[in-house]
Amino acid sequence: MEKDNQKIEEFFYRNNEQVNNPIIKSFLSDSKNLYLVQKAILCPTDSNKKRVDESFQSHYINVRKIKYVSNLIYFFSLDFDKKRRKLQKHTLLILDKGLSEEGGTTAIEQIEDTSHEKELDHIVGKGLLDHIEDEQLLKSLQKLTVRQLQILEMIYVKELSIKEIAQTLQTTPQNISNLHRKALNKLR
Amino acid sequence: MAYLENQHNEETLTIIENFIPKIKHCLHNTDYQEREDLEQEIKLKIIEKLATVKFQDAPSFWDFFS
Repeated sequence: MEKDNQKIEEFFYRNNEQVNNPIIKSFLSDSKNLYLVQKAILCPTDSNKKRVDESFQSHYINVRKIKYVSNLIYFFSLDFDKKRRKLQKHTLLILDKGLSEEGGTTAIEQIEDTSHEKELDHIVGKGLLDHIEDEQLLKSLQKLTVRQLQILEMIYVKELSIKEIAQTLQTTPQNISNLHRKALNKLR
Repeated sequence: MAYLENQHNEETLTIIENFIPKIKHCLHNTDYQEREDLEQEIKLKIIEKLATVKFQDAPSFWDFFS
């Protein structure tokens, strides 16, 4: 037994350089492979050697595959982005040129102008109380102060921001949100 | 044949699963909106390549110890 160990050690010592080769090292780090190699060293028959070779070759191919995939992922991601950029450059979103070669209309003209509609809404627009269908809610709304009603109307009907409301009522945004909260509490 | 194919598929799957962290890392190479697309494309490419590329000519173990 001791002689066997000596033989194995001697083999590894003699081939120190090769054993430190990364692929051999990773191959031998698997105890199953190490066992196969030791067996082949002790009785170097063809079948023992062949078994080591089979195991080694599958290990080698595996490592190559992993290396290949690793590179593939990296370079493919770079390539993908390059292609994407190129495509984007070719198909810019141009709004102010004719849609067809001689066409007079441009894309920007075909986009509906919604700000116009809002103005119309402003003219025909109704107050908050006109939107309410629920009688109970209507009654409790009428109990609110005029200022609270004003604020609710601006927030929910005209969809203004707190800041804008504060500007039109000439007060602070904090005050508006305070009044808003109080009004909602009253309605509950 | 069916068995071999099955084994190959499983192998491909484990390789992809092991590489998910790396894939996620490489997604940063492109814009935020494109990342989902890229992830799928990468996985597709891996499957395609592992199926077509032949990994051959592994050297013999004993070649290293002459």
